[in-house]
Amino acid sequence: MAGVSSGSAQYIYACTRMRVRKSLLIPREDYLRMLNMSLPEITRFIGETIYRSEIDELGTSFSGINLVEVALSWNLAKEYQSILELVPGDLKHFTASYLRRWDIQNVVTVLRGKMQKMQPGKIKEVLVPAGRLDRVALDRLVAEESPERVAESLKGERFYPVIERELPRAMETGSFAHLENELYKGYYARLIADAKGGVKGGDIFLKYIQLEIDIRNIQNLFRLRAGQVREDVRELMIGGGSFTVDELQRLSGLESPDEFIDALKRQVKMIPLLNALEEIRGKTALHEIEVALTRVQLDQMERMSKRYAFSILPILVYLEKKKYEVANLRALARGKEAGLPGERLQGYLVM
Amino acid sequence: MVDFGTAELTLEMIQASQVGMSAVGAGLAVGLTGVGTGLAEMGIGAAAVGATAENRDMFGLALLFTVIPETIVIFGLVVALLLLF
Repeated sequence: MAGVSSGSAQYIYACTRMRVRKSLLIPREDYLRMLNMSLPEITRFIGETIYRSEIDELGTSFSGINLVEVALSWNLAKEYQSILELVPGDLKHFTASYLRRWDIQNVVTVLRGKMQKMQPGKIKEVLVPAGRLDRVALDRLVAEESPERVAESLKGERFYPVIERELPRAMETGSFAHLENELYKGYYARLIADAKGGVKGGDIFLKYIQLEIDIRNIQNLFRLRAGQVREDVRELMIGGGSFTVDELQRLSGLESPDEFIDALKRQVKMIPLLNALEEIRGKTALHEIEVALTRVQLDQMERMSKRYAFSILPILVYLEKKKYEVANLRALARGKEAGLPGERLQGYLVM
Repeated sequence: MVDFGTAELTLEMIQASQVGMSAVGAGLAVGLTGVGTGLAEMGIGAAAVGATAENRDMFGLALLFTVIPETIVIFGLVVALLLLF
């Protein structure tokens, strides 16, 4: 009894903190205001929000777009690491599994950088040490000489077998795309295994994973259609969602867009997703479709997090929303740097 | 023939037993409501600490919410006092 009670109090504590943090994220109106600002104005604006300490700290070493980029990455990493510290017991286990995606992103970035013989300092700028591999571990990787050496020093990591298997092929072809796909597929498979591992609350975590996999697969199908890819897509799809890989292959074979959306709608049960698919029918721009699907995912997660108020979900909702906030700010800053008009940029923001 | 000595003794015993029972009732009233308050405050307190940790301005409001279940134990205390006096 005592164990159960104190456990639930910890869940309430952590989930409330996440809800407060979520309420402090940049609201839609601020994004709309930022669309009319120039890059220095945006930098000043975000320097007055929770990104202040990073902007102040990095202000002397970076300027312009680089300052925004690095400050956003640092803030994201700091935020994720602090969450990992404050969440209790089982929630920590799931949060850590979720955050491993950043390890994959970082490792692939280091491998690509090493392959292209980039300066270690340059590689370091684009890393986001938000996962299990912290700044020190990543520094060690960046200091290695070649991609093979980087891979060797990752011995013992969960994803090492995939890297060991796929790296020679990637080096031969010069493309890390296949390696990256395999790593992410391994990541999702591992997430599912973690959720099914018998830890309390795993069933709720599994619901989130399935939602994420479904949305990711649907996004990928739309991307493949936009890229006119008609070959075997089974390799590119993630298993474990509510669609089997063969079903996804059949869907990707459909010629007309209407037929494709109808077939998708027959398989989907989630009402918000059905509505979004209906809206997508009229859209042709890929980024609009992706943003619409991401929106559905976030809304659905939000809804699930209210149903399971004290579980892993409120934490994941915050982590995801934070990720998109950083992505939005980065898109805004990059767009302004490139001189894109506000209306065009708006289509790329997940608000 | 009536044994008055025994009857008087029984009456005293009953009276004493009534006082004892009301004392037990008073104890239960305070004790159980205390447990109820504690259980109710557990969740609110955890959330209040969480909210205050993120935003210090929440402290006053969070404290107010945390002590609302104290009313339960006050009801228990009132019942106990009524029973005893």
